[in-house]
Amino acid sequence: MPATDYQGSFLGRISIRRNQVMSMEGNHEQELEDLELFQKHVADRFADLLPPQPSDETHADPLLSISWLRKLLDAFLCCEAEFKAILIMGRETSQILKPPLDRLIPELLERTVKALDICNAITNGIESVRHYQKLAEIAVTALENKPIGDGQIKRARRALNSLVTAMTTEDKDGNNYTRTWSFGRRGAASGNNKVTGQLRSLSWSVSRNWSAARQIHALTTNLVAPRGGESSSLASTVYVMSTVMLFVMWAMVAAIPCQERGGLATHFPVPKQLAWAQSMIVLHEKIGEEWKKKEKKGSAGLLDEMQKMEKLGQSLIDFTDNFQFPAEDERVEEVATQVAELAETCRKMQDGLVPLQLQIREVFHRMVRSRTEIHDLLESNGKLSAPMV
Amino acid sequence: MAGYQSMMPNHEGEQHLLAAAHHVVKALRAAKNLSDDMRKVLGDLDGHLSKMTGNTESRGGEFVEIEERFKRAENRILRWESNQTMIWDTGTEEVSDYIGAVEEIQTLIESLRRLSVKGNGKQKEILSRADSALQMTMLRLEEQLIHILVQHKQYFEPEYVSFHSCQDVVYDESYVSVEDESSDESSRRVNSGRVSGEYIVDLIKPHVIPDIKTIVNIMFGANYDQEFCEAYVGVRKDALTEYFVILELEKLSIEDVLKMNWRTLSSEIKKWNWAMKIIIRVYLASEKNLCNKILGEYGTISSFCFVEIAKASLICLLNFGEAVAMSSVQPEKLFRLLDMYEVLEDLLSDIDGLLYEEAGSYIRIEFHELLRKLGYSAKATFSELQIAIASNTSIKPFPQGGIHPLTRYVMNYIKTLTLYDESLNLLLLDQDSDHSNPVLETANEQDASSVTFCPLACHLRSVTSALQCNLFDKSKLYKEEGLRHIFLMNNIHYMVDKVKGSDLRLFFGDEWIRKHNGKFQQHAKSYERATWSSVLSFIRDCPHSNTFFKATPKERCRGFNLAFEEVYKSQTQWSIPDSQLKEDLRISSSLKVIHAYRTFLGRNHISDKYIKYSVDDLESLLLDLFVGSPRSLHSSQKR
Repeated sequence: MPATDYQGSFLGRISIRRNQVMSMEGNHEQELEDLELFQKHVADRFADLLPPQPSDETHADPLLSISWLRKLLDAFLCCEAEFKAILIMGRETSQILKPPLDRLIPELLERTVKALDICNAITNGIESVRHYQKLAEIAVTALENKPIGDGQIKRARRALNSLVTAMTTEDKDGNNYTRTWSFGRRGAASGNNKVTGQLRSLSWSVSRNWSAARQIHALTTNLVAPRGGESSSLASTVYVMSTVMLFVMWAMVAAIPCQERGGLATHFPVPKQLAWAQSMIVLHEKIGEEWKKKEKKGSAGLLDEMQKMEKLGQSLIDFTDNFQFPAEDERVEEVATQVAELAETCRKMQDGLVPLQLQIREVFHRMVRSRTEIHDLLESNGKLSAPMV
Repeated sequence: MAGYQSMMPNHEGEQHLLAAAHHVVKALRAAKNLSDDMRKVLGDLDGHLSKMTGNTESRGGEFVEIEERFKRAENRILRWESNQTMIWDTGTEEVSDYIGAVEEIQTLIESLRRLSVKGNGKQKEILSRADSALQMTMLRLEEQLIHILVQHKQYFEPEYVSFHSCQDVVYDESYVSVEDESSDESSRRVNSGRVSGEYIVDLIKPHVIPDIKTIVNIMFGANYDQEFCEAYVGVRKDALTEYFVILELEKLSIEDVLKMNWRTLSSEIKKWNWAMKIIIRVYLASEKNLCNKILGEYGTISSFCFVEIAKASLICLLNFGEAVAMSSVQPEKLFRLLDMYEVLEDLLSDIDGLLYEEAGSYIRIEFHELLRKLGYSAKATFSELQIAIASNTSIKPFPQGGIHPLTRYVMNYIKTLTLYDESLNLLLLDQDSDHSNPVLETANEQDASSVTFCPLACHLRSVTSALQCNLFDKSKLYKEEGLRHIFLMNNIHYMVDKVKGSDLRLFFGDEWIRKHNGKFQQHAKSYERATWSSVLSFIRDCPHSNTFFKATPKERCRGFNLAFEEVYKSQTQWSIPDSQLKEDLRISSSLKVIHAYRTFLGRNHISDKYIKYSVDDLESLLLDLFVGSPRSLHSSQKR
C-alpha cells in the first residue's frame, strides 16, 4: 500500500486501517509508516519556527516573541494529537504492555505530570509579564502627555524604575511576582515585615521548593533515543514526542518568568544526526546562547517583548533622569519614537498575553486528557506494574 | 478679538494696574463703616473696572488669579511633603483641606490647559509646576490608599469545626472492626460545612470606604486610574494570598498531589472542600462586593480588578481539583471525590455569579469542566469497587467462619454511599443511558418504590451480588461443610442486618431483604443437616437404613458420644458473632438433638454406666458451641 495515497488525511488513514485485518508484518509496516510521517510532520512544524534568513524578505515573528510562542504551542498541540492517534487509535493495544513500551509509556506519563506543573508555573509567570505591561503602560500614558512636564516625567520614571527593578529582581530571587509597586516609598507595610516575609514565601507559583530548572532536567531523565532491539517504531514515536515536549517546555521556561530557573540546562540531549530534530536543535542552540547571555546579565526572561521593554525602559529612564524643563525638541522627538515603540510592545502584550495564557491552559488540559486516555488504555489492558505518578 | 490678541503683550503693565485697582476697590467696599454715597461710588467704580478687565484684559487677569490660586493650593500640598504622617491619620479637617487643594489643582490645570494652548512661557511653566504638584499628590494618595487598605483590612474567620464529612472507609484485613466507627456520621453529614447566614462580610472596615472612594474619584479624575488599579489589585491580591496562609492552605504541585499518601491527600481534600466554600461563597463574594462599592461607577474596571485579584488563587484551587481528578482510582477515594463533587456542584452558581463577565469566563468554564472530571473520576472509582471485590482472593479459609473484613468493608462502604445518593444517581444515570448496563434490572414490579429502582439501588445490588460471589468462593476453602454454611450464614446475615438497620433498606427493598433472609436461614438449615444428621444417625431409629440396626444400643450410644464430642471440639471454635443468630441456631439444634436423644434413651434401656451425657448435660454443652474458643470433652468429662 503506497503511503502517498493517504498522506492527505492522517486520521483517515488510521480509521481505514482499523477496519482491515492486518498480518503482523503489515502492522509493522504501518507502524513504520506512521513513524516516518510523524517525524516528517514534526520536522516541518519546527522548520516553520526557525528564524528567517537575513536575505528572506518575509516578515516572520521574532524568535521567542509572544506570537512565536503561540505558534510553538500550536505545533505542540498538533504533534500531541498526532502522537495520541498513533498510540491509541489504530494500535493493537496489548503492545504497549510489552517491553520496551511497558517502561517507556509510564515514563512518558511521568514526564507529562512534570510538564503540567511547568504549564502552571508559566501561567503564573505570564501574570508577572502582565504586571510589567501595566507598569509600562503607565509610563506610556505619562510620556505621551504634551507638552511634557516635570510631573509626568516623575510619574514615568517611577513606573519605569518599578518595571526595570521588577524585571531584574524577578530572577535573582528566583521568586515569582515580586511586587515592587504596591508598597510606596514610605513603605505603607514597612511595619509589617513578618507578613511581607510570609507573602514572599507564598509567591511560589507551584509549590514550595519547586524549581522549573529541576523539572526541565527531570524531563531529560531516561530520555534516550531507542537503540538496537528497543528501537521499535512505537518506541521511537514515544521518543519523538518526549523530545518535542522537552523542547517546548524548555523554551517556555526560558522565555517566561518562572519559579527557580537558576541552572537551567542549555544542553539538548538529542543526537545531532536525527533528521527530524534538526530544526529543534538549531532553535535550541540559538535560544541556549541567548539564555547564557541572559543568565550573566540577570533579567526576567527571553520573551522578545520583554527584552524590548527592558531596553526601552532603560533608555527612557535615562531620559527622565536627565530631563530639564523645557525639553529640547530634538530629544522630545527621539523619546516620542521610543514611547511609540513601548506603546506598540504593550499593545502586543495586551493582545497576546491572555490568549497565550489560555493556550497554555489548553496544552495543560490536553495533556491531562491524553494522560487519562493512555492510563485507561493501560488499565483496560491489565494492571500497571508500578503505581502511577 | 483679533485686535485684543495683538494688544495683550503691549499692555501687560496696564493689566496689572487694573487688577490692582480692582482689588483696592473690592477691599474698600468690604469695609463696614461706609456711607451710602461712598458705597454707591465704589460700586459704580467696581462695575467699571470689572467691565474694563472683562472687556480688554480678562484672560491675563484670569491667569493672574489662577497663578495666585495655584500658589496657595501648592502651599497646602507642599506643607505635607516634609510631613511623613498619613494624612488620613490626622483628622477630617486636614483631609478635606488636602483633598480641596488637590481638587483645586486639578481645576486649575484644566483652566491652564485651556489658556496655554497659545500661552506664554510663564503659563507653561506654571502648568508644569501644577503637573508636578498633581503628580506629588497622586503619589501621596496612592500611599494613603495602600495604607488604608492594609491598616483596615479584615479577615473572615470561619470555624473550622463546622465542617463535617464522613470518615474514610478503608479496607484493612488486620483491622477487624472497621464496623460502626462511622455509624453516626450519616446524620452529621447533612448540611455539612454550610456557611450559614449572610455571606457578605466586610473585608475592609466599612468606615474607611468613603475615604477610599474619595481617592478613587480623584485619581480617576486625574487620569491616574492605572496607578489606582495597580495599587488596589496589588494589596487585595496580597490579602487573598495571606488568607490562604490563615486557612493553612499550602500550594501543592500536581506531582505532589499524585505522590501523596492517602491519609494526607484525604485531609487535603477535606481542607479544599472547606476552603472552597469559604473562599468562593464568603471571601470572594465579599471581594466582589467591595470592588463594586469602590469601583462600581467605573463600569468594567470593577470586574476587571476583581478577576485580577482572584484569578491566581482560583487557578490554584482549580489545579488541586484537577490533580485529584486525575489521580489513580482507589475505592477509598470515592467519598472524598463525591465530597468534592458535591461541594463544587453546590458552588457552581456562586462561581458563575462571580465570573459572569468576559474577563473571568474561562475560569468559570474550567470549574464546570472540573465538576465533570470529578464526576467521571467518581464513577470510575465506583466501578473500581466491584473490581476490587472480585479480585479480593484468599488462600486460607477465614478462621472460625466469622464475618469477613471484606463483608464489613463493603457493607459499611455502601452504607456511606447512600449519603451521596443524589449525586450518585445523577452520575450513574448518565452512565447507564450512555450504553445499556446489564446491571440494570427492569422495574416491572408494580409496588416497587422508586428508590428501590433508582440507578444507585441497582448498582448497590450488583455490588452485593459481587460480594456474595466472592464469599461463596471463599467458603469453598473450608474443609468442613458445616463451617462453610456457618460462614455464609454469618456473612449474609450481616449483610441483611446492615441493610435493615440503615437507609440501605430503601435501596435494597423488602424483596431483597426477604430473599436474603431466606438465604441465610437456608444456610442455617444446611449447617444443621451437614452437622447433625450424621451424629443423630447413631441414635435415630431409621426404618430405611439398616446400617446401625444391627448395632446394639450400647454401641450406638458410644458412637453418638464420640460423634458429639467431635462436633463439640470443632464447633466450639466456630463463631457466630451475632448473639441472636447464635441463640436461634443453638435452640434449633438443641431441639433436634435433645429430642432425638431423649427419644433414644426412652426407647432403649441402656445401663447408666454407658450413658456418658444426661439430657441436661447435652443441653448445657450445646450452649458452648459457636463461642469461638476451642474446648474438648475427652479429658475433662471422661467417666
